[in-house]
Amino acid sequence: MTCEETRKNLPLFLYGELSFDEEEQVEVHVDECDACRLALAREKALFQALDGAEMVPAPQLLEESRVELRRRLGTLRGNSGMRAPSIWDKLREGFTIHFHFAPGIAQVAGAAAMLVLGFLTARMAPNSLLGNWHSAGLVDPATSRVRYVEPMAPGRVQIVIDETHQRVLSGRLDDQAIQRLLLTAAKDPSDAGLRVESVDLLKNNSQSAEIRSALVYALEHDSNAGVRLKALDGLKQFAEDPDTRKALTQVLLTDDNPGVRTQVIDLLVQRHTDAMVGVLQELLEKEDNGYIRMRCQKVLQEMNASAETY
Amino acid sequence: MQAAVRMDEAELIRAAQQGDQRAFEQLVRLYDQSVLRLATNLLRSPEEANDIYQEAFLRVFKNLHTFRFDCSFHTWLYRIVSNLCLDALRKRKVRREESSVIETSEGLLDRMDAVEERRADSDPERSLESQELKQRIQQVLGGLTPRERAVFEMRHYQGMRLRTIGEVMGTSEEAAKNCLFRATQKMRAALGDFV
Repeated sequence: MTCEETRKNLPLFLYGELSFDEEEQVEVHVDECDACRLALAREKALFQALDGAEMVPAPQLLEESRVELRRRLGTLRGNSGMRAPSIWDKLREGFTIHFHFAPGIAQVAGAAAMLVLGFLTARMAPNSLLGNWHSAGLVDPATSRVRYVEPMAPGRVQIVIDETHQRVLSGRLDDQAIQRLLLTAAKDPSDAGLRVESVDLLKNNSQSAEIRSALVYALEHDSNAGVRLKALDGLKQFAEDPDTRKALTQVLLTDDNPGVRTQVIDLLVQRHTDAMVGVLQELLEKEDNGYIRMRCQKVLQEMNASAETY
Repeated sequence: MQAAVRMDEAELIRAAQQGDQRAFEQLVRLYDQSVLRLATNLLRSPEEANDIYQEAFLRVFKNLHTFRFDCSFHTWLYRIVSNLCLDALRKRKVRREESSVIETSEGLLDRMDAVEERRADSDPERSLESQELKQRIQQVLGGLTPRERAVFEMRHYQGMRLRTIGEVMGTSEEAAKNCLFRATQKMRAALGDFV
C-alpha cells in the first residue's frame, strides 16, 4: 500500500471499517513509514478533538421531550380512539360482539335483557354468592384478576387471584425499606425504563455491599445498555476493588455495546496491571471500535507489551 | 445478550402494535435518548432536536402497524429520524443560519445551554483544549453537506456500522463510506492546524 492510499484509509482504519486485509496493509505500512505513523497520530488527535465536540442533551431536555410526547400521544389517542384495551374493554367487547351483526332494535332488546338479568340476579341470588366477597374485601374487580382455578374436594375449588394495588411510598434514599424496593425494581424484567431510574437512584448509595452487588449484576446481565451504563456509573469509584475489576474485565470482553466498552476501558486503564496485558491483547483480536482499539494499543505500548498474542 | 435485547424488543413491538400503551412507552424509552442525541448533534439546536424527537415518535406511533420486522426496529426508527433531520438541515441551508443566542425579556439566552459538552468535566484528557478549536469544529460541521454530516454523526458519535448507516440512509455501504471519507477529509483539511 502506498503512502497516499494509507493516508486515505486512516479514518476508516480508526473506525474499524476496513477489511481484514486492508487493515493489515495499513498496519504494516504504518510500522515501516515514519511519515504515515505521524499522520496516524494526527488523525487520532483529530478524532479525540471531535469526540470532545459531541453534544449530549441535558437530562432536563430529555425529560421535557418525554412529557410533551406523552401529552401529544394522549391527544392523538383521544382523537383517534386508539388506546390500550383494558380488561373492562375486553369484557364489554365480549358482550357486544354478538350485537354487531344485529339490527339496531336487537341491540336495544339485548341491552334491556341484560338489565333485567342483572336486576333478577341481584334480587334472587343469595348474598354469599355476590356481595359478601366484595364487601369483605376478598376481591376488587378493578384491581384483581383470577389467575387460575383448581378443583379440590367435591364441591370445593381453590382460586388464585392476582391483585394489583397501587400504594405511594416516599422516604429517604438511605432508608433500607426504600432501598429494598429499589433493588426489586432494578430487576423488573418487564420495564427497562423503571430499571434505569432505579439503578440511577441506587448508584448514589453504592457503599452498601448489597447495592454494589446489584450494580455488578445489572452491569453484567441487564439486557438494556442504559441500565448497564447507570450501573457502571455507580461502580466507577470501586474501579480499584479486585472483584469490581474482575467484573469490569468480563464486561469489556463480552458486552455488545461500544458505549459501555468505551467507558469500561477508560476506567480499567487508569491503573496498569500485568493482568491487563492478556485482556487487552484478547480484546484487540475481536474489537472493531476504533477508539477502544486505540486505547488498548496505547496502554500496551506504555506497558512495553505487544499488541498481539502469540 | 444481543439475542435477549432483540427478543424483548420484538415482544414490545408486537404488544405496542396491539395498542399496549405501556409497551409503546417502553419502546420509546429504549431509543429516545439516542434519538435526541443524534438530533441534537445534527441540528445543534435543542428546540429543533425536540421537534424531531416529537415528530419521529409520533410517526412511529401512527405507522407502527405497518412495521413487518423485515429490518430491525432500530434501522426503521433511524430512517425516520435521519430523514427528518436531513429535511431540517436542507431547509436551514436555504434560510439564514440562526444564532444560538436569542434575545428574551430576561436578557440574552444561549439556546445551547440546554445541551452539555460530552465528558467536558469528567474526562479533561479528551475535552476540547481551547474555545477556538470548539468554534472551528462547529464551523466545519456546519460546512458539511447534510448527508455527510448525518453519516459522520451516526458513525462517529453513535458508533453505527457503515452497513447499517447505508440501510438507514437508503443507500449502499460503499456510498456511506464515500460520504464518511469526504466528511473526514474536509475536517482534516479545516482542523489540521489545530491538532
